[in-house]
Amino acid sequence: MSNSPPARSPLLRAENLHLNFGGLTALAGISFDIGAGEILALIGPNGAGKTSALNCVNGFYRPQRGKILFNQHDLVRTPTHEIPRLGIARTFQNIALYTGMTALDNLMAARHIHMQQNMLASALYFGPAHREEIEHRRVIEDIIDFLEIEHIRKATVGALPYGLRKRVELGRALALEPKVLLLDEPMAGMNVEEKEDMARFILDIHERRGMTILLVEHDMGLVMDIAHRVVVLDFGVKIAEGTPDEIKTNPAVIKAYLGEVKRKASESVEQ
Amino acid sequence: MSNPQTLPQYLQQSAHKYGNTRVAMRKKQLGIWREFSWMESYMRVRHLALGLQQLGLQHGDKVCIIGDNDPQYFWAQLAAQSCGGIAVGIFTDSAPNEIQYVVQHSDAVIVFAKDQEQCDKMLSIRAHVPAIRRVIYWEDRGLWNYRDNWLMSFESLIKEGREIDLREPTKYDERVAQGNADDLAIFCYTSGTTGAPKGAMLAHKNLISGAVTSTSVDPRFDTDEYLSFLPPAWITENVLGLAIHVMNGMIINFPEEPETVQDNIREISPHALLFSSRLWESLVSMVQARIADTSWVNRALYNAFMPIGYRVADLRFGKGNVPIVWKFLNWLGEVAIFAALRDKLGLSRMKSAYSSGAALSPDVVRFFRAIGVSIRNLFGSTEGIIHTLHVGNDVKFETVGVPPPGVELKISPDGEILVKSPMVFQGYYKNPETTAKALEGGWFHTGDAGYLRDDGHLIYLDRVKDLLELATGDKFSPQYIEGRLKFSQYVKDVMVVGGHERAFVTAVINIDFANVGRWAEKKRIAYTTFVDLSQKTEVYDLIKQDVLRVNETLPPPARVKSFVLLHKEFDPDEGDLTRTRKLRRNVMEDRYRDLIEAMYSGKDEVRVSAQVKYRDGRAGVIETAVRVCGV
Repeated sequence: MSNSPPARSPLLRAENLHLNFGGLTALAGISFDIGAGEILALIGPNGAGKTSALNCVNGFYRPQRGKILFNQHDLVRTPTHEIPRLGIARTFQNIALYTGMTALDNLMAARHIHMQQNMLASALYFGPAHREEIEHRRVIEDIIDFLEIEHIRKATVGALPYGLRKRVELGRALALEPKVLLLDEPMAGMNVEEKEDMARFILDIHERRGMTILLVEHDMGLVMDIAHRVVVLDFGVKIAEGTPDEIKTNPAVIKAYLGEVKRKASESVEQ
Repeated sequence: MSNPQTLPQYLQQSAHKYGNTRVAMRKKQLGIWREFSWMESYMRVRHLALGLQQLGLQHGDKVCIIGDNDPQYFWAQLAAQSCGGIAVGIFTDSAPNEIQYVVQHSDAVIVFAKDQEQCDKMLSIRAHVPAIRRVIYWEDRGLWNYRDNWLMSFESLIKEGREIDLREPTKYDERVAQGNADDLAIFCYTSGTTGAPKGAMLAHKNLISGAVTSTSVDPRFDTDEYLSFLPPAWITENVLGLAIHVMNGMIINFPEEPETVQDNIREISPHALLFSSRLWESLVSMVQARIADTSWVNRALYNAFMPIGYRVADLRFGKGNVPIVWKFLNWLGEVAIFAALRDKLGLSRMKSAYSSGAALSPDVVRFFRAIGVSIRNLFGSTEGIIHTLHVGNDVKFETVGVPPPGVELKISPDGEILVKSPMVFQGYYKNPETTAKALEGGWFHTGDAGYLRDDGHLIYLDRVKDLLELATGDKFSPQYIEGRLKFSQYVKDVMVVGGHERAFVTAVINIDFANVGRWAEKKRIAYTTFVDLSQKTEVYDLIKQDVLRVNETLPPPARVKSFVLLHKEFDPDEGDLTRTRKLRRNVMEDRYRDLIEAMYSGKDEVRVSAQVKYRDGRAGVIETAVRVCGV
């Protein structure tokens, strides 16, 4: 069913991923690849395996079979904590921030993989450690400006509204300065205005920082607006792949969505 | 250059005076306050102006600017004015059709639009504004991939100008020297309550005399800090901000984002500030909310010293003499809590705190006086800039101050405030009829009603069209009297009654059950229900004090001669009020007809039986006697 992908060098390639939880099959032989500088969206009905696929990429889950190739590394065999250092960052569907810390500290914490100084020098905070901190703060301030969260710099994250927390989390992922950004439902639970803001941020990140983005999202309208390519999963199997326009008219996709989100699917077809 | 006549000429003078060493502007960017010296700021204006000239900007051409408070906004404005152009500010939250109206009506040829959001709005109305040659943006975020020659970046225009400046080093100076005090400087579009917005035309001499007037009674120095956060499309920011900046060298700071203003005020701790009365009020509620959440030590200090602060402030602004014991206690309070509060609010260095808009409640004024900040009122308009303000320590919160030197003020026979001053505007753009009406007889007709007291202070009442007339022909403002009465903590709602067929003013007052109840308990006055409490003689005496106090501020014919305390509360469920608690006068005059007639017929008491609807839909009848109290 899938449209043959255009010839290009993939930055990240997932091959034949199989993931079972006991007797439950989450992923049954899924393959996809992301070209450098591409926004790829992973869509599908609830339980299709979108988040599972994402979790395999950043090492949260270990697929029983299959490979994920990135920069000559197989991520399936890379320890989870090494994966951010390779250049892969993510946000979570259910925000995972340090709720007792300020937005600024949350972002600064993400810089740890770039910190050169040892703990003692950092604790004493002199010379190189001091300079390094200033350098990191500069990077963070750029991100704060980019995401327009100046006003909550010093606010405790736990006290922030949901939409802003999502933004802080995106900021933390950016602070890692990744090559690939994994976004798990960045717009879930947001109102229309917040969604539009987030869509703008994602486009700006891509445009300004040339970042490769793998996006899992439910909101079909927005996915179709911002993704270059879409991979559709259903029951752990890839049922379609192609440009948003191709996906909108793909009968298999419409069938997968019919009955479940009939209105949305027909809406996106009309678009 | 001897005597500058325009804002760009003043900028040039100040830039040569302060050069590269003194700070002209600061903008918080990426978490750091970045400074622009006078020379840097001036050179940007200079290059920008040459760039605009290159785009064909001529004397009298209009340039629209849509943006937040940024150095670029003021640079763009001064650059346009350097070429003899007129700056037209547009609010950033305007919808595309509103922008289109102003751009078309003002005949603008160039638009400065801050960012992607504003540029997108311009692009959406492009077909309707063919006169616009270029749209110049100063924040390129999101615009990187726009390929459109209509859009142009601020920096590229400056770059063009810089090259011209190298080739023709005297071109800018010659152009600026041609500027004349009579040249138009800005258009301020005012959203009239009826009809389309009108473009008030203000000349350089208007803005300059605005700055001169305000600094003549309240000096500003080149070491003073100012935070620019009022919309720059407003006259206020142009006069109290930009004009004083270029003329007196006051440093202008720009907030990081509109959302961070409160934090930025604290960081800058400005010397001068103008808030709307709403903002001052919200500061007080913020402090009170924070105090409720703070540690018990802070709360105890606050509760111990605030009464002292209130007492001292009342003494100081009342009789003038503060006994030494109170001075000492106040000093302790200063150390313990007042200084810290001022610091938290960013008022540590405040010399000139102004309030404009609706009247400030006395509680708010007293609060700030207690912590050592005296708020002065300022009353003005787009067309006349400053009409009156409080000068020095002559601060009376019930007035809007006195006309400053250079401002002549009189009240027309029908109660309208008329103003004559060098600040009065040049007319509405392309609207000679309205202009003629506004400037009839050489006076600017403010459309506001008020009266001058014997001490020279102006009392502002209301818009003229909202006044009511009595049978005697005297006019009064129900909203004004109601607002003043509601400042009392014992009064929850009021309806003031008058009109053509009535000879004097009366009021139907709704007591604040919680506060009056607490007061009654303290005074050991026993009561059972709202009905009972509202008809107590003592309560009538209590409220009468408030009515008398308000009456003192009113001209005799507009004073409340009689009032009743209603036996029940005004209730939206019964149609007395709208859901936003605005009075429905017609409904209420009808419902309380008996009570109102009783006040005018001189009865002492009236029996009422009122229909009440309970929340659960049942209807009931209350029967009681309501007393009428003459004042």
